[in-house]
Formats: sequence, structure tokens, C-alpha cells
Amino acid sequence: MKHLCAILFSVAAIAAPPTVIRNATILTITKGVVKNGSIVIRDGKIAEVGENVSVPEGAQVIDAAGQFVMPGMIDAHSHITAESVNEGSVSVSSMVGVDDVLNPEDIALYRALAGGVTTLSIMHGSANAIGGKCIVIKARWGKDAPGIVFEGAMPVIKFALGENPKRSGGTPVAQGGRGRYPATRMGVEDVFREAFTEAKNYQAEWREYNEKIKRGENAIAPHRDLKLEPLVEVLEGKRYVHAHGYRSDEMLMLLKVSDEFGFKIRFFVHGLEGYKIAKELAAHDVGVSTFSDWWSYKVEAYDAIPYNAALLMKKGVLVSLNSDDAELMRHMNQEAAKTVKYGGLTETEALSLVTINPAKQLGVDKQVGSIEAGKDADLVIFDKHPLSNYAKVQKVLIDGTVYFDRDKEQSELSKKDARKKALIDKEKQQQQQESPRRPGAARRPS
Amino acid sequence: MNRFAVALMLAWPLLAASNDTFLLKNVTVHPVTGPDIANGMILVENGRIAEVGPKVAAKGARVVDGKGLHAYPGMIDSATQVGLAEISSVRETVDTNELGDFNPQLRALVAVNPESEHLPVVRANGITTVMTLPFQAGGGGMRGGASTTLIAGQGALIHLDGWTWEDLEVRRGAAMQLVFPSLETRSFRMESMSMARTPFAEVKAAYEKRLKDLTEFFEEARRYQQAKKGGAPGFQPDLKFEAMLPVLEGKMPVMVLAARERAIRDAIQFADKQKIRIVIAGAREYGKTLADLKAKGIPVVASPTLELPLNEDDPYDSAYTVPAELYKAGVKFAFATFNVQFARNLPYQAATAVAFGLPYQEALKALTVNPAEIWGVSDQIGSIDKGKWADLMLTDGDPLEARTQIKALYIKGKQVELTNRHTKLFEKYMNRP
Amino acid sequence: MSKLIRFALLYAGIAAAAPPSGVAIRNARIVTVAGPTIEKGVVIVRGGLIEQVGADLSIPADVWTIDGQGLTVYPGLIDALSTIGLPDAAPAAAPAGRAGAGRPTAIAPATGAPGAAATPPARGPEDRPSTTSWQNAADLAQPTDRRIETFRNGGFTSVGAFPMRGIFAGQGALLNLAGDKAGQMVIASPLGQYITLASSGFSGGFPGSLMGAIAYIRQVYIDADQYKAAKALYAKNPRGLTRPDYDRALEGVLESPRALLPASRAVEIARMIRFGEELKQPFILYGLNEGYRSADLLKQAGAPVLVSLKWPEKTRDGDPEEVETLRALETRASAPGTPAALARAGVMFAFYTDGVATPRDVMKAVRKAIDAGLTQDDAVRAMTLSAAKIYGLEDRLGSVEKGKIANLVVTKGDLFQDKTEVKYVFVDGQKFEPAEETPAPPSRQRETQ
Repeated sequence: MKHLCAILFSVAAIAAPPTVIRNATILTITKGVVKNGSIVIRDGKIAEVGENVSVPEGAQVIDAAGQFVMPGMIDAHSHITAESVNEGSVSVSSMVGVDDVLNPEDIALYRALAGGVTTLSIMHGSANAIGGKCIVIKARWGKDAPGIVFEGAMPVIKFALGENPKRSGGTPVAQGGRGRYPATRMGVEDVFREAFTEAKNYQAEWREYNEKIKRGENAIAPHRDLKLEPLVEVLEGKRYVHAHGYRSDEMLMLLKVSDEFGFKIRFFVHGLEGYKIAKELAAHDVGVSTFSDWWSYKVEAYDAIPYNAALLMKKGVLVSLNSDDAELMRHMNQEAAKTVKYGGLTETEALSLVTINPAKQLGVDKQVGSIEAGKDADLVIFDKHPLSNYAKVQKVLIDGTVYFDRDKEQSELSKKDARKKALIDKEKQQQQQESPRRPGAARRPS
Repeated sequence: MNRFAVALMLAWPLLAASNDTFLLKNVTVHPVTGPDIANGMILVENGRIAEVGPKVAAKGARVVDGKGLHAYPGMIDSATQVGLAEISSVRETVDTNELGDFNPQLRALVAVNPESEHLPVVRANGITTVMTLPFQAGGGGMRGGASTTLIAGQGALIHLDGWTWEDLEVRRGAAMQLVFPSLETRSFRMESMSMARTPFAEVKAAYEKRLKDLTEFFEEARRYQQAKKGGAPGFQPDLKFEAMLPVLEGKMPVMVLAARERAIRDAIQFADKQKIRIVIAGAREYGKTLADLKAKGIPVVASPTLELPLNEDDPYDSAYTVPAELYKAGVKFAFATFNVQFARNLPYQAATAVAFGLPYQEALKALTVNPAEIWGVSDQIGSIDKGKWADLMLTDGDPLEARTQIKALYIKGKQVELTNRHTKLFEKYMNRP
Repeated sequence: MSKLIRFALLYAGIAAAAPPSGVAIRNARIVTVAGPTIEKGVVIVRGGLIEQVGADLSIPADVWTIDGQGLTVYPGLIDALSTIGLPDAAPAAAPAGRAGAGRPTAIAPATGAPGAAATPPARGPEDRPSTTSWQNAADLAQPTDRRIETFRNGGFTSVGAFPMRGIFAGQGALLNLAGDKAGQMVIASPLGQYITLASSGFSGGFPGSLMGAIAYIRQVYIDADQYKAAKALYAKNPRGLTRPDYDRALEGVLESPRALLPASRAVEIARMIRFGEELKQPFILYGLNEGYRSADLLKQAGAPVLVSLKWPEKTRDGDPEEVETLRALETRASAPGTPAALARAGVMFAFYTDGVATPRDVMKAVRKAIDAGLTQDDAVRAMTLSAAKIYGLEDRLGSVEKGKIANLVVTKGDLFQDKTEVKYVFVDGQKFEPAEETPAPPSRQRETQ
């Protein structure tokens, strides 16, 4: 069935005429700013970008005079569309995955789109040291669950450090808690070391079995363990680790654990104290995806500073801004603007925090994150410069298709209201029709 | 951060600290109450604005050249817990939400920690005054919800600079905070992490009981007032009722937290009956109450603009457009963050409102002169006008834009440091070898 | 000639000399479901089976005769998914994965009881949480369940009875709604494994979430697969091999010929189709509130479905000022259109009563589906032959055909008419006459289910 869809989709894409966005200020992020430029879109991809681009015949034209086009924004930490977020019952829950519980009809997906976000990493929560599998999606509102998945994105697993994993079960049973280990940051480290020791044994067991089979020996396959499989993938570099962490000490701890077991952390989410260990992060080539300015909501966020992103960038760490929040995600451009204030990033640097940098962190920078020929046509059109707090999203394209259009918002809303009213009226009518029948109930033997 | 900014931050306080008298020149003055003055001057004497205009005589005062900068009145956040709450998840550092239903005698001012790290952080973004409140609902908002409190205590309007809470005071008892009973059939249950439904009849009965309790408390307070006035025999002072007297006399407004149309409707009715002055705060939908608010001159503390729509079917921008709707309805309103950690983002709440239909000048007013009027201190703060405290921010551009830098800040004419916990940690770790 | 028929004829022959040993209904309209409706015909029931059906049949002398003038004979109705007959296994789980529902109390002692040792929370799939896959409705059946009579009087002759508590709740059995002993009730077993997506919420053991429940089920099926292979390998040549441990949870899963997966919303339907395909086992979806949106997808998947007759209703005690979401309004308006949509798309479906307390209310619910476009024939089929087919029992049940089990309902009037009277019900050939309509139990009982 998947194949059939793919064929249908590509047929439709070939048949569709090219689209051209004209007269726009184009913020490519990686190739500078094109003033009064055009973008040609073919088969869902960016075909051409520049000042002097000829409009292909039959092209559908979007006139963006006076407007700004930037790449669709990327939120590297989100929980929207996930019908469950935390499998907090155990300290290692790598057998679960949010990809199993996506709800593409979650209205938050439309709201992300209306805020110019086109790609999101939907993450497991932070209730446990080793959380669940995550999934990268595109905000293709209206598509089914497989239809919103970002094809070709690297598989991801969530780890978590600090207060959340130690709090989630740390209260002893005698005090009414769950008594789930660990209750300290020491214990959190131990969970990782135990789990990866187990994963290595598991890896060896399978190797041994495969060799036996190769030699033609009689052997029963080892137990297939969905908890350990993702960890083996991590060890083999086939799955990214996105680790939730706040304090510098705990992040440093995980770096050392990863050294010990020979795997890589792709990036820390939150990483609010990342600025304290920029050197170590840069040396390990580990990124940080942080908040613009959250702080003081808990002890481990008391040393958080809004200069985190700028400092990390200046010290050579791959850094992005994320939302972790269904509201904040709606103005990631404004969050980026704050790094101009706090730390003096240039406009392009600031915008890279919500475009190409998170794309790199998620391993999708070949497809998205900048406006370049060959990349997916995931584009946002703003009426003003996106770093202005007055800028409003006008149109959002994903794979060259317009998924959000502010001009059509009103008529869509009216349609929705009319439909709603009709349904309510119909129900009222039915109730009225049914109620005169009520006396008939007296026919029943009393 | 550019060199210029650092120089301003470090050098100016040293020069100015000794003297709250100076002439600021070469600035674009945005008085808010009147037209902008390009290349204007502001004379500050003993912390107060002595004169404003295109040309003002120095009268021997030190002259400060603000070339290329803009002068605005300091901004006012009309609902926060700044000074009362430090780390929101640590109870020991949070002094909001006292036990009990009726606590009009509680005074937020006395619990304000002048050394809180939040004060310098918030003011660094041009906010000079906040209304700090004794009650905060769970989840960061203060909009009713399943509260155990009705009358939470007296909010205090404070400056964000001073050695003691006495120094900070702009107006103690600026408002009595009332958490209006709410009527919600749906509530979030922590155990199951899901929404639970309570039958309407049940929540309605509970709601009416709360409303009755509230009414009775007010009536008792009124009897107390009569007894005191009439010198009734055996009269004994009662701190709770004593604290209600300014409310009953109309001297202290009641800030009513009410989220939805029904609560606002009932709150207006309640105010009519009790003949008290109210300010509606934190509402998310006004519906048909807007006309009433306008007619009765009831002002509003707007709910944060950057919020999610209340209902699934609401337009995605429904929270963004609320301030514009208030303005169009002719209701006076002020902006607020209802928060501590995000209090510094107050101007961006206003900016989004402008993007979605609120005239720019109205947004500025709702950050400055409107709240000053609502809290009865417009003779003190809220605009760059003669006689008011010199609460000023100097910026390199529009303060509603995040990219704009605050270059200098004055509270009561004193230039205050823009450095804070964040700038210090930044500098420390920027210089880590 | 099949053995069965030969046996029946033989039986008839012997019986000829004895007192009447069967029943013939004549002059009745016969909705056979399997073939065309016979406008005036005869059904002969004997030895628990349908001996003959036809328009022109001579009636043997040794049978009781019922004049079916003005009556209609249908196959007995089947509630495809039920706890009727299992009085201790009333459904605790909502059909779709709603947190907190359906924890198996049977295997977890009440923690509140004084002195009772609390069961330690499950640490992972290895602890087989919320699993009683080995439980079988055939072993749990009790003829004393009062609902048996209530539903039989309404025309129901069989139910697909399943234990419903837990994630792997247990195996179903097709039970006839008559019999003195439990054993007499069982037509076939096991029908399949009843699965829910129940989780412990935020404070219990594994699984604590919807995705945890899904991961658990996935692991169990992987384990079962491997268990089967290991057992086979060991049986073939035990030498030099470690004996695989006996695992009753996996035995239970392996015994079940199909999985029943919960899916109400369109999103859940799509999700469970993908999941079912992944499990590499025949599966049935149950719930289907939003099946009207998923008919084509279901047709493509080829999975049969059981449609709940508990249509979504407006909350009675809701806030009058609250405006419902378009989604909720839409689902409520369109859910009864699900059966029609499925029929149009050619999806195999049957109905289940899902806690609707009385047959009268069940019929009312079916009428709603008919009002929404379902044909009468398809409605009858969904309550008879389709249910039998879904469980692979169409060779013995679900239509008025020669040789099938004599489960029949004889009505005055069309089955779904409001005023229709059920005159006779035959279960395993045994005739019941619903004397008076059983009054509906108090509505409170309905809510507690």
C-alpha cells in the first residue's frame, strides 16, 4: 500500500505545474539574502533561487512583493500530535516510541504550521533516564500518520538527566511513591551504565548466535528484546541520542558515559547550562537545543541565561532553539530575535537557530533548513522581516504545497462555523422530533 | 553585545548614582501622553521630571547626551509575582498562595524580597514597575481555575529598584486580589494525566456555594463597617474586615481574576450589588460583556497575548487579537505577563497585539499610562510628564521589538544597573579559558 | 450427502414412531440471509438443528407445528462482542486506549485491603502486566447470568463472549444463550484474543502509557513467535539445547486464532490497521465510532470489524454554555452512518452491543444506522451471518439453512420496527416464548458498565 501511495504521489507531483514565488526578499540562511528575488518550485523541491529567474510557462505565481521568505522553521523539541508522551513507569523505556501514537489531527499541528514551523521532532518525555523513541515529522496538516512522517530522518531516542528522571519515581514506596530507581544524579548515571552494559551483552549474544547459524550449528535465537535493540542501534551509530539535560555536571557525566561505551550524543535538549561547558561540548561535537530565555522555574534552571545560544554559537557548538511547548512553537522567529538582543548574534545567525542548525541536529539538513536548489520547498512567507515581533506568517509551503494561507483563514473559519451551526441545529431538530414521541413510552407495561 | 552598550551600562551608573538631577538631551522623547519630540530634552530634578520639551534649560544640572537614543516611560507589568517567587518549583522560595478562603489582610508588599534575582533581570528590559500579587494559579497563569482561595490579599505596585521593600513601594494595597469562583466541568487529573468531567449540576452547586460565601463575607464586612462607624457597643477590631474597608469605601479596586464570559458577567453583577470598584484580570474571552465593561468603565488587565486559543475550533490567532478587541470596544486595559520568569517579555505581548490589529500607540499606553491610571498612580508614573517620577528607559529603537537594546534605565531618576545574574554568568563563562 | 444430513434423516426416521420430536414453522416469511428470502415457507427444526427450509415442504407428522402466518423467521441474532454469559467479567475497559481503564483486578489483588501485599509494579514486558491471555470464556461461562434471558427474549441467541479486563484480557468463545450447564452453551472456542490498550497512568507500573501498551503487545507477539519456534526446534531435537521455559501468557496468545484490537477514532483505526498488519496475525478491529471516515482504508486492509452500537451521545450533564468542538458534533452526527459506509465499501462487519442494556435499546441503535442509510438486509446480516463469518463459524451458524444450528428468532413484524414483538426464540432447537417484555433495568445500571 505504501508503494501505491508513493506512486500516486509522484504521479501527482509530476503532473502539477511549477510554482514561483516572486518579488520577495529571500532569506536563504546559507547563501545570503536575495533582495527582490524569486524561487521556482518543481515537484515539491526548490529548483531555482535568485534575482534573475525566469518564470516557467504555466507556473502558478505567488506574488510576495514587500514580503520575506525564509525556510520553514524547525522545532527540535516538541510533543504535539503525540497521544502519549511519557512511559514513566520504568527507568529504561526504550521499547516505546511516540511514532506509535501520532495523531495527525491534533489541532496543534495546524497551529505550528500557522506559526511557520514545518518540521518538528516529536519527542518522548523526560520522566526517565532512557526514554522512548522519537520521530521527526512535517506539519503536513490533513495527511494521515505515515503522511506526516519526515522520510529519511535519522531514528532518535530520548535520554534525560537531572531532576525529572530522579523525581519521577524517586519517592520511596513507604512514603507513598513508586520507589522507582534512581533518586539521585548518581543513580541516573548508573542507569545508563547498567543499560549499556546490558546492551553490549545483548549485542554479543546475537553476534554469537549469527556466527553459530553461519557455521550451520543448531541454535535457538536469543530473545529479541525491544528495549535493548534501540540501545544497540545507538552503539552502532544507527540511532541519534537527544538527551534532556540542564546542569553542566550532568551533561558532562553523560559525555563521559558515551565515551566509555563508545556512542555519541547528538545533542542536549534544554542544555540550559551548556554555556558552562561549551568547550567540552565543542570537543565532543555535541550540539545543544535550548530555550531562548526560560529560567528559574526549577532549581536546575536557576543558572539558565538567555545568552546561552549566542555563547554556544560563538564557542563553536551547533546550537538551535526549540519550544517544548505548543504555544512557544508558534513564534520561533521571535525567540530567535531574542538572541540578537542577548549576545548580539547577526540576523542570519539568529535565524539559523530555528532553521539550518536544528536541521543538522536532526540529520535532515540535506532536505530542509535553508533555501537552496535541490532542497524540499518548505517555505514561510512573512509580511515583515521574521525577526520583527510584528511579522505575521502569510503563507506556509511544505514540499511546494501551500498548507497555510492567512488570506483563506477567514473563509475556512466561516465554513467551519456554518458546518457547526448546521450540526447543532440538526441535532436540536431531531430532539424536538423525538420528544413528541415520548408520550408513546407510556405504551410500555408500567 | 556591542561596545557602546557595555560602555553605557558600566559608566553611567557611576556618574549618575550620586545625583538624581540631570538634563537628558538629544533623545527622541516618547511621552506617550503627547506627541513624540524629536531631538528632545528631559530635565530631572530630585528624581522627578521637571521639564520636557524640544529645548529645556539645564539650570546647572549635569547634562547627559543620549544621542540617537529614544526615551520612553518605564513599562509597567500589571500582574506578576516578581519579588514574591524565586524558583517556582521550590515552595520555600515562593510566598504566594496563603491558606484560607478570605485573606484581605495579607499584604504582598511585606513579602517582597528586594534582593530577588528577578528584579534586575526584569528591569533590564525596560520594566520599571510591577504589580506583584499574593496569588498565582497553577501552571503559570492566574486565571481562576480550581482555586482554594477567594480573596487572596492586597497586591502591591512596586518599583524594581531599592534597598528595602519600603524603598520599592509605589503603592501598597494597590488592589485587592479576588479569585472569582469558576465553573468548569472539565478539569485535569494529575493521577491519570487526563481530563476528567464533573456533572454540571455538581459544579454549579459548588460555584453557587462559593459565590454565596463571597457575598456573605462582603455583607459581614459591611456590617463591621456600620458597627465601627456607629460605635456599636462591644465593637472589637477584626483585621480581615478592617482590610476590607478601603474596598467597601471604593478606595481600593478589586482585581478580579475571571477567565471566561460567564465569570466576567457574574463578577460585574457582583460588583454592582456590592458597589465596589473592580478591574477584570486575565480573561480569555469576553463575549457580550465588552459593552458592559465599557458602559460601566471597568478596566481590564489583559491576559497574555502569546497564548493558545481556548478552544480547539477557535481561530489560531484568537489570543493575539484580544487586545485589539478590547480597544475597539473602548475598554481601558493594561498588559501583564501573569508570570515571574517571563515578566521581562512584557513588551512582546504588546507587539503581537499590534501585529494583530491593536494601534501601536494604544499598545504603548497599555504598557505605561493605562496601568498607572488603573492603579491610581498616574500622578506618579506612566508617562514622561512634568511632576512624575523619572522612570525612564533609553533604547536604540522600538522597545516592543526584541532586537532593540535597552541602553539605560532610570527609576525615580536614579540610573540603575542593567547587569544582573544573567549578564554576570554570561560574562564569566564567555571568559572561561 | 453430508454426514450431518444423513444423521439428521436417520434421526428423523427413528423419531417417526415416537412423540413429536421437532417443530415446524409454516406459512412464515423466512429471511434466510444466506439466500433469498422465502415469502411463505417452512422451517423444520429437530435435534437442535435446522432440518429443512423451503417454500414447498411437506411437514412430517411427528413434529409440532407453529402457524407462522404473519410471522417472520430470522437467524438468531449474535452479539459479536460481549460479556453476556460471563457475569464476573463485565467490561471495565473503554474500547479505545484511554488511560486508566481496564486494569485486570483478577490478577492484581486489591491494594486497599488490609494486610494484602501490594503487587509490585511491573518493571517491563517480562512481567507480563495486565495479562490473562490464557483465560478462556468457555471456561468462565455461567448459565446463571441474568442478561442471558433478557437478551434471548429480545431475539439474541448467541454472543461472542470475551473476558475484557487487561491488555491481553483472554480468549473468547461463542456461547449460545441457553443451556443448563456451561458446557452446553459453548459453540466454539477460542474465537480470538481480546486486547485493550489499557495503561496504568502516571503512577502505576509498566505500561504507563498508550505507547507503552502498544510496545508491550508488540513484544509479546515477538516473544510468542520466538517461543513457538523454540518449542518446535526443541521438540525436533532437544539434544544440546536449553529447554524453553513454559510461558502461559504466550501459550494463551498462540492459542488465539485472531487478535481483537480497539479502534474508535479514525486515527486509531488507521493506527490499529498498521499495528495489526505488523503483528502478522489475523485481526479484527472493534469500536469504529468514526468508521464512516475509514471505510476505504478498512476495505484495503481487508480486516473485518465489529461496530459498537453504543453511538456517541451528547453529555447529559454538560455545561449548557459550552460549545462543543466541531469534531465532537461531527462524530455524533455521523457515527450511525458507519455501517452504511462499511456496507457500501464492502467491508465485512458485525455489530456488538457494547453495554447497551436492553435488546430494545439495541434495536433502536440499529434503527439509527438504518436511518443513516444501512439497508435492512445488511443490518440483519451484520447481526447474524457476518458475525458468524468473522469468527469462521458460518458453516454452523448465522443463517436459516439446512443443517445449521437451530438458532432462530420469530417475530411479528420486521425485526427493527419499534412495535415488533418477538414471538419465539429457538436456541439449539429449544423453543422459548418471551412471555412479557422484560422491563428495562434501571438506567443507573447502564452507566456503571
